[in-house]
Amino acid sequence: MSIKFKNVTKSFGDSKVVDDFSLKIEDGEFVVLLGPSGCGKTTTLRMLAGLESVTSGDIYVGDERINDVPTQRRDLAMVFQSYALYPHMSIAENIAYPLRVRKVDRNEREQRVARVAKMLEIEPLLQRKPRQLSGGERQRVALARAIVREPRAYLMDEPLSNLDARLRVQMRGELKRLQHQLGTTTIYVTHDQAEAMTLASRVAVMKKGRLQQFDTPLNIYNHPANRFVAEFVGSPSMNLIDGKIEHGVFLSDSIKIPIDRSDAAVTIGLRPEHVHVSTAPLDGAIPASVYVTELMGNETFVFLLVGPHKIIARAPADFRAEVNCKVWLRLETDKAHFFPKEHSTDYTDQKQSV
Amino acid sequence: MKRTRIFRTGWLVLALVAALAPVYWMLTISLKTEVDQFAIPPKWFSFTPTLQHYTDAFVTRSFGQYLLTSAIVAVVSTFFALLIGTLAAYALTRFRLPWNLDHKLSLWILSTRMFPAIVTAVPLFLMMRDLRLLNTKLALIIVYTAFNLPFVVWMMRGFFAEVPRDLEEAALVDGDSRLGALVRVVLPLVSPGLAATAVFCLIVSWNEFLFALVLTQTDAAMTLPVGIAGRVTQYEIKWGVMSAAGVVAMMPILVFALAMQRYLVRGLSLGAVKG
Repeated sequence: MSIKFKNVTKSFGDSKVVDDFSLKIEDGEFVVLLGPSGCGKTTTLRMLAGLESVTSGDIYVGDERINDVPTQRRDLAMVFQSYALYPHMSIAENIAYPLRVRKVDRNEREQRVARVAKMLEIEPLLQRKPRQLSGGERQRVALARAIVREPRAYLMDEPLSNLDARLRVQMRGELKRLQHQLGTTTIYVTHDQAEAMTLASRVAVMKKGRLQQFDTPLNIYNHPANRFVAEFVGSPSMNLIDGKIEHGVFLSDSIKIPIDRSDAAVTIGLRPEHVHVSTAPLDGAIPASVYVTELMGNETFVFLLVGPHKIIARAPADFRAEVNCKVWLRLETDKAHFFPKEHSTDYTDQKQSV
Repeated sequence: MKRTRIFRTGWLVLALVAALAPVYWMLTISLKTEVDQFAIPPKWFSFTPTLQHYTDAFVTRSFGQYLLTSAIVAVVSTFFALLIGTLAAYALTRFRLPWNLDHKLSLWILSTRMFPAIVTAVPLFLMMRDLRLLNTKLALIIVYTAFNLPFVVWMMRGFFAEVPRDLEEAALVDGDSRLGALVRVVLPLVSPGLAATAVFCLIVSWNEFLFALVLTQTDAAMTLPVGIAGRVTQYEIKWGVMSAAGVVAMMPILVFALAMQRYLVRGLSLGAVKG
């Protein structure tokens, strides 16, 4: 089912947690709501689930306006961060619960539980209680309970954040494959930009209750709408340097870069992969000193000091440099992003009409 | 090491004797003839047992009737106190009421337990008289339900607060109604607490004396404690009958508490230790 938020606002007392939020999600899409904690992404999801009331604006599932539909009649499935398995029921009973509530008869209930259990490879666990399961197993059961009833959409609230790093990466892949297989609209909330990039067909980046950008992961990465998105997406973060352009030259303390743009106060943004480090002097390169290097195995992150600025560069794995060693930087300025200085614009100009 | 163990055992024995001596005394008196009851020195262990007082109490006199009244009043009032109190406690823990009413109401409910019971005895007597409910079981059921309610609400509030909200929200999203989520998900999780609360309500109602004395005077409506106290008259004190009735009065609660022991311990320590 398609899902549409139209000018949705949520206030708790005087504070607006979600502010004029509009988004149109197509049927079958995997959309990730991404943002730092407190940005309103979970509240947005809870409003869709009916666990929070909507202060103003409308939410549609398909063509149905669901603002006033009680949670139990919205026919959406949710996976909670805490998994929220019913501790007094066996795993089979947990998975069957949504069917039992809908008065599906016993035979069909058992068949569907068995089918989902097979799909998620949790058949041996069916007779156990949730407390006897590991985190990863509980996660699968929570997914099974969501999948078993074939809802109009899946809502997931940071479902992987309680797993250890290795398991998280594994489950991430399985989740993506599962969604592809089921083809059901999925809305997924996370603060982890790597999860957003890998899972989403489109990412909605939020900050302080406002939508910043809604686009494919690639476009979010390559064409961030503003400084916040640029900094939040990508690891390590984009380098941001405040300065101004005068007569075709970008100036900031000791940095001088020829830029073919009109005069303005700007922040220049460069991804670490567009900063190249050399231990030998190069023509026209910017001198810098090494702050520290981090070997990642397949590559090296080089943290550099240029005057007062800290800049991160990606270098090959065999790059070696001592701390405080003098190096030279070449910047791919044609890949640079420019943001108006000081105030970061919100995602207003690109807002789609819904 | 050894000395502390002896010390500890000593204290336990002392406490046990202090607690059980009156019970033992009551039990023996109920089985002694009236002559043996007053023998000096007291006959602690060797006497000819008789069931005379039991037949006297339950066959000749109406103690069977009192027992039945006590049981009906205790069970029915506990049932209603649990039903109303549990729903109230759930609402008070889970819903935000305007003007902070959820907190204010809770305190207000508790405040009804802050004055001595005797203060309400006279008004209750007058109200029950006007309602023509004096000497009825219904009067006692209403009063006991009302007096147990604050206790149920406060106990259950604590137990409900321990249940993670996520579970109910998951139940709602899964398609269950509020009431369905309460019955299928929340109540099973607080059942030890519910059992503990039920035991307390039963004990309180079963043992209650003051209101029963004020509101009931006839054999048909009298509860066991009032009936027992009634054997202390101007002319004689029927120790044997009173003891026999006392032994019988003790039994149901003892059996019930033993049966519920597992829940009692879990219910009362719930919240103290997580998980």
